[in-house]
Amino acid sequence: MKAITASALLFVILLGALFIYVAEDIPAFGDPYSPANRWVNLSIGIDARNHVLESLNEGVVPDALVSEIKNRGLPLPEGYKVERGGEEEGWKGWDILIPKGEMFYPNLEKYYFIMNEGNRLWVYRYSVPVRWEERCEEEMDLPNMVTAGLADYRGYDTLGETTVIFTAGVSVILLLRRRGKL
Amino acid sequence: MRVRGKSKEHGQEHKYKHKRDVIVTTIARLMIPFIQMYALYVMVGTEGAGGGFQGGVVFAASFVLFVTAFGITKGRGRFPESWNAALSSLGLYFYAGIGLLCIILSLFGAQYLNYGALPLWEIIGRPETRGLMITFVVEVGIAITVMAVFTSIFFDLAWKGEEDKEDNKEEGGE
Amino acid sequence: MMEWLIAEVFAKYNYWVSIVLMLIGFYAMIAKDNLMKKIIGLNIFQTAIILFFISLGDVSIGGWGGGVTEPIVKGALPWETGGIVEHGVVYANPLPHVLMLTAIVVGAATTAVALALVIRIHEAYGTIEESEIIEKEQERELP
Repeated sequence: MKAITASALLFVILLGALFIYVAEDIPAFGDPYSPANRWVNLSIGIDARNHVLESLNEGVVPDALVSEIKNRGLPLPEGYKVERGGEEEGWKGWDILIPKGEMFYPNLEKYYFIMNEGNRLWVYRYSVPVRWEERCEEEMDLPNMVTAGLADYRGYDTLGETTVIFTAGVSVILLLRRRGKL
Repeated sequence: MRVRGKSKEHGQEHKYKHKRDVIVTTIARLMIPFIQMYALYVMVGTEGAGGGFQGGVVFAASFVLFVTAFGITKGRGRFPESWNAALSSLGLYFYAGIGLLCIILSLFGAQYLNYGALPLWEIIGRPETRGLMITFVVEVGIAITVMAVFTSIFFDLAWKGEEDKEDNKEEGGE
Repeated sequence: MMEWLIAEVFAKYNYWVSIVLMLIGFYAMIAKDNLMKKIIGLNIFQTAIILFFISLGDVSIGGWGGGVTEPIVKGALPWETGGIVEHGVVYANPLPHVLMLTAIVVGAATTAVALALVIRIHEAYGTIEESEIIEKEQERELP
């Protein structure tokens, strides 16, 4: 064998061993509570006393939670709403919907999720794909979430990408044509 | 010497010979319209899987089948150079133009690609159709650009191959 | 032994497949001489990354990887379930699909420009084996 083949093989085996060593710690895919799809744990927790639960049922977030959320710099503007949610899947919690100031689009959006677990209240934050899946049919009348995401929610990426295609076409023309001939 | 108003397409400058086969030409004649119809179906990616990029690539594949069956000189006659420049810029104009239209029509109130600012619901009647209509225009624009670019790349590479083969044959013969 | 095998190898089979493909493509890019084989190695590498990313978007509730449909809303077409949108259907995460569409197209554009460059190199040197090109370059530089 030549020198470069043997050294490339050795390098690839070492790289493979590194990947396998890293892959042991990654969780199995299809995780039921996969955070990228449902929520992100904000690790704010206060004790669940009776008056706190009562105020949540009435629709007002208690002051301890409000001050903790604002200390981290997360938004909680005036005009929010509290609803009970998540009971179809068996979780007990409350959704907090906050108004987003977007022009020409419907306004209230699910933002935080408060869950009662082991006598403490934990705060989670809904992630962006949840909004896609819930609002796609009513905002845009399209069943296909992927096309709606490409053209509307992620429109800037698609614009840059069409420019990349155009540039590739132009550069092949510049490389392969000479003066006078093709 | 150039005649005013008509320029020589460089497909007719040099004719490369191509041997035709009966089976391949017959099947190509049957299949090409159906492939293009399928490309139009995939291009409208609203009710099922599909989208702009996928539809444009399937359309370009029909040009590849044409060149395989009928020879590259005839293929270049069907997709001349002037079309290439026009079509590949047209798709990009559609996309960027819709964005600018949103700024202009809402009198500088909305941002660049905010589709809600177009007064579509006065014409059509349902406010949700803004997404449907805009996705039509955007997807068709992307598909036109992708189709023109991929076809032009294929023609460039294939034309160069024929030229090299001819040069080698001349050198080998001498 | 059996539990370790099931937990580490069979439950994460998407990571293993993607790693093997990635290493095959990487080896082809480094160790082969012919320039066309290097371009094919680049393509295999990109495909492995795309597969890995899309397999991350799988969600399963109550079970081992079952019961997730593609991200197209079921029941929205009038000939499926009479036009009423169903509840309780779990959809896969649509975000990786969107990002990987862009990645596929960029890969195709890169391959096209690489092929044009290989044609130019063949015109200039007369060969596309990498070792012969290096020899010709070294011969030229000797005074």
